[in-house]
Amino acid sequence: MITRDDILKIAKLSKLSIEDEEIEALTKDMAEIIQFADTINTAVEDENMEFDNISNIINAFHEDEVIESFDSDLILKNRDGGEDGYFLVKRRSVN
Amino acid sequence: MSYELVAGLETHIELSTKTKIFCNCTTEFGGEPNTHCCPICIGLPGTLPKLNKNVVKYAVKAGLATNCSIRNISKMDRKNYVYPDLPKAYQISQFDKPLCENGYISLSTGKNINITRIHIEEDAGKLVHQRGDTYIDYNRGGVPLVEIVTEPDFRSIDEVVEYIEKLRLIMKYIGVSDVKMQEGSLRCDVNISVRKYGDNDLGIRTEIKNMNSLSFIAKAMEYEFNRQIDIIENGGIIEQETRRYNSDLNITESMRKKEDADDYRYFRDPDLVTISIMDEQIQQIKNELPELPSVKLKRFVEDYNLPIQDAELLVKYKKVAEYFEEACIKIENHKVVSNFILSQIFRTLSTETEKEDFNILIPPSYLNELVKLTETKKINSSLARITLEKMLETGKPLSEFITEKHLQGIDENTLKSICEKAVLANEKAVNEYLNGKEKAFGSIIGYIMKETKGNADAALATEIIKTIIS
Amino acid sequence: MVTSKIRYINNLLNKKEISCTELTNKYLEKIQEENKNLNAYVKVTEEEALIVAKKVDEKISSKGHLMPLEGIPMTLKDNISTKNIETTCCSKILKGYVPIYDATVWETLKSQNAVLLGKSNMDEFAMGSSCETSCFGGALNPHNLKHVAGGSSGGVSSAVGGNIAVYGLGSDTGGSIRQPASFCGLVGLKPTYGAVSRYGLIAYASSFDQIGPIAHTVEDAAIIHDTISLYDKKDATSCANKGIMTADKLNDSIKGKKIGIAKEYFEGIRDDVKESILQAIKIYEDLGAEIIYFELPELKYSLSVYYILACAEASSNLGRYDGIRYGYKASHYNDLNEMICKTRSEGFGKEVKRRILLGTYVLSAGYYDAYYKKAQKLRGTLVRAFKNAFTKCDVILAPTVPMTAFELNFTSIDPVETYLTDICTVPVNIAGLPAVSIPCGFDSNGLPIGMQIIGNSFEEHKILNIAYQYEKQVGDKIYKNIELGVKL
Ligand SMILES: [Mg+2]
Ligand SMILES: [Zn+2]
Repeated sequence: MITRDDILKIAKLSKLSIEDEEIEALTKDMAEIIQFADTINTAVEDENMEFDNISNIINAFHEDEVIESFDSDLILKNRDGGEDGYFLVKRRSVN
Repeated sequence: MSYELVAGLETHIELSTKTKIFCNCTTEFGGEPNTHCCPICIGLPGTLPKLNKNVVKYAVKAGLATNCSIRNISKMDRKNYVYPDLPKAYQISQFDKPLCENGYISLSTGKNINITRIHIEEDAGKLVHQRGDTYIDYNRGGVPLVEIVTEPDFRSIDEVVEYIEKLRLIMKYIGVSDVKMQEGSLRCDVNISVRKYGDNDLGIRTEIKNMNSLSFIAKAMEYEFNRQIDIIENGGIIEQETRRYNSDLNITESMRKKEDADDYRYFRDPDLVTISIMDEQIQQIKNELPELPSVKLKRFVEDYNLPIQDAELLVKYKKVAEYFEEACIKIENHKVVSNFILSQIFRTLSTETEKEDFNILIPPSYLNELVKLTETKKINSSLARITLEKMLETGKPLSEFITEKHLQGIDENTLKSICEKAVLANEKAVNEYLNGKEKAFGSIIGYIMKETKGNADAALATEIIKTIIS
Repeated sequence: MVTSKIRYINNLLNKKEISCTELTNKYLEKIQEENKNLNAYVKVTEEEALIVAKKVDEKISSKGHLMPLEGIPMTLKDNISTKNIETTCCSKILKGYVPIYDATVWETLKSQNAVLLGKSNMDEFAMGSSCETSCFGGALNPHNLKHVAGGSSGGVSSAVGGNIAVYGLGSDTGGSIRQPASFCGLVGLKPTYGAVSRYGLIAYASSFDQIGPIAHTVEDAAIIHDTISLYDKKDATSCANKGIMTADKLNDSIKGKKIGIAKEYFEGIRDDVKESILQAIKIYEDLGAEIIYFELPELKYSLSVYYILACAEASSNLGRYDGIRYGYKASHYNDLNEMICKTRSEGFGKEVKRRILLGTYVLSAGYYDAYYKKAQKLRGTLVRAFKNAFTKCDVILAPTVPMTAFELNFTSIDPVETYLTDICTVPVNIAGLPAVSIPCGFDSNGLPIGMQIIGNSFEEHKILNIAYQYEKQVGDKIYKNIELGVKL
């Protein structure tokens, strides 16, 4: 059974902060979802169940030849051009 | 009570492919921030990675050069953790099917350091912290790495240092990395624990992260070794944690305790396909490998009859070793060649990098000719030395400095006495020269030429006269 | 008789009966009127559309002849990256994000002068079955505005069904093309995994996601599929096209073709839906196809397998939304970690968070073997079960959804209840197979019923052929609510 503490642990791993008032409903939802996921554990395992990958392709490589990189203006476009060419995260928000 | 050090190493080495591991951006070091980037290596939504062909090849080379077995079937996995230098919030790495496994590197004592595995993965970007703000540059993000993991086989700091030096040399020899430690293209994490001599169980270990200098590694290990002993001696327990080396204070300090954040939730990267390498391909790569430093060292000692210390110095720089071998052709006493290189030529190359690059003006054939003359006793050693010096300065061949007449000629002692005579006989010219009249020197040389019927080596004579009158 | 709407318009343009600019303007005007109700578009790209339309008109006057998709007004689901056009996945966390590159499918269509009318609505990060998890609110069903258009590609089905786009590209991870197509009485094709490049498709679950068309008719879907199913060197999982043009195969006879019916697909299906499909089976028998009945007991694990694996991949794929490089960023925080956690907590909606948490859980230490690893094994079992089934039949016929379009807010009540409605669509994604949903009737409220035809890997030509032959037979009745022409 999934507990409140489990939820807090996976929330931390997921970098999600869960508000106190959310946690009860979320625990209940997750318990239900995990119970539903548990269906698979009624399946009998046999030897030949190993599964590798949905893609049957092997060895898709790129050639080791340089293609010109993007302008840093474009790289930083979604952060208003960044700060001196860098992405910047301020230590704390300025209020 | 005395304690034994037990250490294992995880070494990250940047591969010198032209492009990054999953995109075609350049791997060149440095550059203005975020100028070696594209949508793929900054992890924009919707982008997909595609593995660099040469990364696989280079890693297989690294594996073969360290006696690993190579997997025929391999894959890429995601290692999930959130940190700003990792734009996808996962590092594409290899978890349970690394390309190379079960290798070793032999130390000079004959002891083997076992290599558990070598896998390929992507490097992270670079963070610059300023006044608590974080500036991020993704140029290094996606540069290919091999991570080489050893068993906890090290019992001393010296062993660690020797291992790293050997590893560096191998990687350089096989051309998969330039291993420039100052540029961070080789970085080590050291797992370290202590135990009482005679104990078989391993103690609790700490991990010192991300060091890129041999002296820092040695200092950090020494500090950490003593720190752990102190704790145990005082009845404490070592805490399993990650530490960092603070070079300003020469201490290691705690970075983070072992906790949930270490749950990396590895799983196969569904964006990348199976890597399959056939035995024939592995064999072909093996055939392409150059002679490895350990083999070369053995050969230099046996075939060229060199003292091991000399051979080590030659083998340490791939280009020097190659130069040496070419200069040795049809020569009996190879030690003479080695001496010229290790003393006279090395003196002109002050830094390690200069020795590595070995950009000297004369080809090995020039040195070869010179040594041949000394072997046949046609010229004496001091003339040889002086001549080599001139050749190194000018890049001109032997014939520019040593003429036929020379070779028939006057030995150095005779020349010396003629020079002494010449100085006495040309007092005026000597004084004029010493007062700055360069031209006056010509008449002294003229005197010598007359005395020797032109057989003297003017250059050598000049040297001798200068020593006499200075 | 049902014809191709794309060919119809292509013909009008080629014959200069309408200019592309006029056509585009008509659609743009109609969007102005109808999008208020349908909420199909989250962004209308009027300016870009008219620039391309003008280009097409110039081409008609100089060269005369257009390629099939040239000048046809269409829409893209908002998880397909479009350079310089905001692409949000209908999530607050990507509001304002403007891609600096084009998805490969859009690059292909752009090169054929497709006229992009706008980006269409979807469930946030394609996680949902009703389009209602969109941060812009859900898209509505053109057949009845009290019902949803389906999900997650609900904006595409709403726009195409509402005749404010000729066709659209959606993405299908667990049914997100077929289910909304079914709800809106349209044709939706989920291609074989690897047939269409995923490059530029913002990932939900990488080993399931496929881009495909939602269109009015089977022929339209075939034309679009033939255009976009190309090998792409940017996508390592992309497969080389075998060179079969599905549109050329539509008229092949289906006499003697074996249509498989797996009884598990009909368990828990609403009676009227089941009845419509039984009718369709009769039509196929009349057309000379052979009906083969068999069991596929492995299907019973498919929903759990799907949710475990898709959420595991999603939890990793969605880790990158940290506020640093693009998209939403929390405005109040005290340190870097808090900035990231707040950005994600404020930026993601409830359903997305649930799936991230589930995915993190099934991958985390101690649970990996019981969930992720086990599900992965069962995925293999299902792949083999389908493979085996296709030794007995050419295609499998099944309902697309156990019911018709949900009423609004149906899905917000109980998450598991909602997941169960994906029962018929997810097996195909687990096995990487192609499937097409086509309309096969209406319920008593006049809402469309859909059926899907499932094929073996890279046999899109077979499923479209079999779909087309049905459509040819009964399309006039089944498609009665669809406006195939363009009112001029
Ligand atoms: Mg690593
Ligand atoms: Zn790049």
